Amino acid sequence: MFPEIISPQILQLIAQATVDTLSMVAVAAGLGTLIGLPLGVFLATSRRGELFAAPAANLLLGTLVNATRSTPFIILVVAIIPFTRLIAGTSIGTTAAIVPLTVAATPFIARLIEGAIREVDQGLVEAARAMGATPLQIVRKVLVPEALPAIVLGLTLAVVSLIGFSAMVGAVGGGGLGDLGIRYGYQRFMPEVMAAVVAVLIVLVQAVQSFGDRLSRRLNKRLRHT
Amino acid sequence: MNAPVKPGALGIGARPLAAPDPIIRFERIGKAYPGRRGQQAVTALSGIDLSVPAGAIVGVIGRSGAGKSTLIRLVNGLEKVTAGRLLIEGEDVTGLNEAGWRRRRREIGMIFQHFNLLSSRTVFDNVALPLEIAGTPRAAIAAKVETLLALVGLADKRERYPAELSGGQKQRVGIARALATDPKVLLCDEATSALDPETTRSILALLKQVNRELGLTILLITHEIPVIKEICDRVAVIEGGRIVEEGDTFSVFTDPQHPTTARFVEAVTGVELPAHLEGRIRRDGRPGDDLVLRITFTGENATAPVISRLGSVVGVDVNILAGRIDAIAGRPFGSLLVSVPSRLPESEAVLAALKTLDLKAEVIGHVS
Repeated sequence: MFPEIISPQILQLIAQATVDTLSMVAVAAGLGTLIGLPLGVFLATSRRGELFAAPAANLLLGTLVNATRSTPFIILVVAIIPFTRLIAGTSIGTTAAIVPLTVAATPFIARLIEGAIREVDQGLVEAARAMGATPLQIVRKVLVPEALPAIVLGLTLAVVSLIGFSAMVGAVGGGGLGDLGIRYGYQRFMPEVMAAVVAVLIVLVQAVQSFGDRLSRRLNKRLRHT
Repeated sequence: MNAPVKPGALGIGARPLAAPDPIIRFERIGKAYPGRRGQQAVTALSGIDLSVPAGAIVGVIGRSGAGKSTLIRLVNGLEKVTAGRLLIEGEDVTGLNEAGWRRRRREIGMIFQHFNLLSSRTVFDNVALPLEIAGTPRAAIAAKVETLLALVGLADKRERYPAELSGGQKQRVGIARALATDPKVLLCDEATSALDPETTRSILALLKQVNRELGLTILLITHEIPVIKEICDRVAVIEGGRIVEEGDTFSVFTDPQHPTTARFVEAVTGVELPAHLEGRIRRDGRPGDDLVLRITFTGENATAPVISRLGSVVGVDVNILAGRIDAIAGRPFGSLLVSVPSRLPESEAVLAALKTLDLKAEVIGHVS
């Protein structure tokens, strides 16, 4: 039904905006995981009496993570504009939007990974210690592989949230589906464009969620496969 | 049970129980946890003296909270000694740092009540883990793991995940994993407590087999007295963070000194009065009563034809009420409840005959 009421030019815009959204989300999720994984592992293992016991650093990083997470995303985007400019050279457009998205995604992913790691049975850590494993070996060979199904679910959640955030950066000139929806759907009174944008977002979220669920289930060897 | 058995054939004295140089030695060891926020320190263990001879199977038994988990974790440095000295192969490891402990731990295997296998790894990869940690080359890992899986009887399960195995199979994987680095000592932390009795027996048989074939020293902790009875050469009873009794399993079982020990061993050595007699038993006898005796058989006498001899030599009718003949640490042990006529001189003759046979007889009471 869309082809009749949406012009080919608009369709092209929607296609481009989808690509922009996907690339923003992918890069932000990738960078967020790159930083969030070690950060999450550290948060999960650095309290008193734990593998990398460093209570002071744990408290500091934990507070920083909480501060970032409690700042509303739209405020975060505006607040870090100087930082965005420093990194991306500009504060407008798809590339620039990646900076606040990554800044928001990293602590979120770190917390999700911390939770996943904390769920790993302490008995496994003890068994690995009894084998003479170093703390780093315990992380690489026990904690991360055992937490992987939960980590995948967490990252799925993070990507879904990022898709939502990426629509918000549209409001400050970030590009992508949100930007398209605001400029055409809202400001130019084109409800069909708005509807199309929402439909694409729904499909994206569905696809990401089912892929994540399936991957997590495949990785989870605690369930019997027969 | 009528065949005459020579003590030598029973393995008595054949095993070198008191080797001159124990592989693990606790010397007046104490373990205390620092108190939190002005509270008093918590003492988990105190004054522990214990020697584990090389090649022996030593069991520590105690109720939960007695300190046995802490005790076994001192041996591989998962918990640190706070008083006394710990010697492993003659070397004082009391003040060892973490790097030193990591090297040590590769020579000490450990298995756990809940197996602690990695759910994300196959059976093969679980057994390979300690070798990966030790930096063993890939080819050598594969060869070693195959050998171990064959040893524990799981060669056909190598590509399975732990979730697909039974409890007994999981513990077999645990044992294979613990043996991967060719340790000299195996620590068993309630290794059979999550298993049913039949699986427990098969796991204990496997432990005994690796003890014999690989010369592996085993230190185990348990709250299950049958485990001690089945495989331990020596036993220590722990209560309130102290060892209250220690000795070779047979002596401790047949002649317990401490009330806690007595309660533990009763489950496997004791014979209860049948329910229909329990209410009718009296301290003092009346004419025509029967005398109820508990006869304890140890060592070679456990297999002697005592009852028939009492009948033929003394000429009294011996009525067997309850009994059991069992093996403790590989040596026969029996306990029998009998009733004999309480009138003199027959009862005196029976007691005298038992004494000459060197059997322990205890008068339980009279019954009409």
